[in-house]
Amino acid sequence: MPRAIEIENLSYKYPDGTVALDNITLSVEHGQAVALIGPNGAGKSTLLLAMAGFIKGTGKVLIDGLQINGKNLKKVRTSLGCCLENPDDQLFMPTLFDDVAFGPLNMGLEAEQVKSRVADALKTVGLADMGDKAPHHLSAGQKRAAAIATILSMSPKIITLDEPDGNLDPRNRNNLIKLLAELPQTLIIATSNMNFAAAIADKAVLLDNGSIIADGDAKKIMSDSKMMTEHGLEVPS
Amino acid sequence: MHHAYIDKFAYQDSHIHRLDSRVKFIVVLIFTAVVISLPPTSLSVLTCYAIGPFTILVLGRIPLKFALKHILVVSPFVLVLALSCPLYDKTPFTAVFGPFTWQISFGWMRFFTILGKFVVTMSALIALVSTTRFNDLLTGLQRLGLPKLLIIQLGFIYRYIFILIDRAHHILRARAARKLRNLGAKAELKIAAAMLGSLLIRSIDSAEHVNIAMQARGFDRSWRTISKLKIRSSDLLFALTAAFFLLGLHFFVEPLLQ
Repeated sequence: MPRAIEIENLSYKYPDGTVALDNITLSVEHGQAVALIGPNGAGKSTLLLAMAGFIKGTGKVLIDGLQINGKNLKKVRTSLGCCLENPDDQLFMPTLFDDVAFGPLNMGLEAEQVKSRVADALKTVGLADMGDKAPHHLSAGQKRAAAIATILSMSPKIITLDEPDGNLDPRNRNNLIKLLAELPQTLIIATSNMNFAAAIADKAVLLDNGSIIADGDAKKIMSDSKMMTEHGLEVPS
Repeated sequence: MHHAYIDKFAYQDSHIHRLDSRVKFIVVLIFTAVVISLPPTSLSVLTCYAIGPFTILVLGRIPLKFALKHILVVSPFVLVLALSCPLYDKTPFTAVFGPFTWQISFGWMRFFTILGKFVVTMSALIALVSTTRFNDLLTGLQRLGLPKLLIIQLGFIYRYIFILIDRAHHILRARAARKLRNLGAKAELKIAAAMLGSLLIRSIDSAEHVNIAMQARGFDRSWRTISKLKIRSSDLLFALTAAFFLLGLHFFVEPLLQ
């Protein structure tokens, strides 16, 4: 069985020449929950975009055994669901139902299948009766949950989440931790909140200046106070 | 931030809310066309036409204060246009309103009629958007044959206008927090231009992110939705009532009042 994610020697420069990713080599097994940790500007979001095929650098990126290229981009994005940092960017349809149905409809599913997937996804994130709501009528916590539902309805094997705990109060953050912990998918979570990362991840990848500094057991990496402080992070409390 | 959403009552439930959006849209469209085409001397007839949107607002349980507030918000634009009438047309005219008659210029008559038409048609429009969820309205318009691209654009405007307003408020607040003295018109204009520029750049940034979110979910430039609209007997009854109302006013009431 192919690995969920396999990246070999991936490098990427922004158009202005700034190195965003520098020779990244990384592999993630199916079912793992990986925290991409690092200070602001470390390259976490860029790496997530590379995994979803939105930026193309040098090197190799394989998602569930498929190398990302123009031909299989649709297949890759069916395997890997990508949840952006700002839920307002993720929720672009007039109602929550339409937003959650957007992916399954583009996958070519029948109307009944789409409805069932939307109902399941909304139920999973605790928004079962809110399909008719407009996204601007939702709270920050509900928007975050809704953004995850838009991905879940596509039944991807892998989900990437960019700073999913941003703007959430402790109650909503705990709800999100509970929700993510129950998901069977492979999770790649970019975050600079170490407590959040520690609560979910079993593997951590520490990025700084576009390079991987450490890759391994989440507890072991996040308890190394010297390394964490050196890279502008803190040890989870 | 909490906005005074124009569709804040669209999520209520009433007989009017449950009507098919296509039927409501067509009725409002025809109603507006009929009201606009009334002659400029038809002030008293206009009051009869006002019964239509007034009834819909009451049946839809939309507070009249809410409707009036929104009419007032848009009224300055129409007021400026209408005020030009008394300036160029001073022909004497005997105005009749029920049992009352008085002498005014034809320009003023035109002014009051334009205002009256504006209030009546705006009331109909507010009744439509306050009793129809925006998404149902878009689906209805799509089913009526409006180009998909236009529907997508309208959907995005509705989705992102509030976010844009929020951002503008935040920028204005940041300026107010640091602007402790009057800077003069030139400096103020420069700041306003910078603020608008910032808003534009952030909007472009958001648009790029939305594009990524759409592509990540398999968007291939074909817009797919599940339509939930269905014409029922209540929709036909509403359409018939509206037709009787408009025909009755046109053929029986208008000749009496003019």
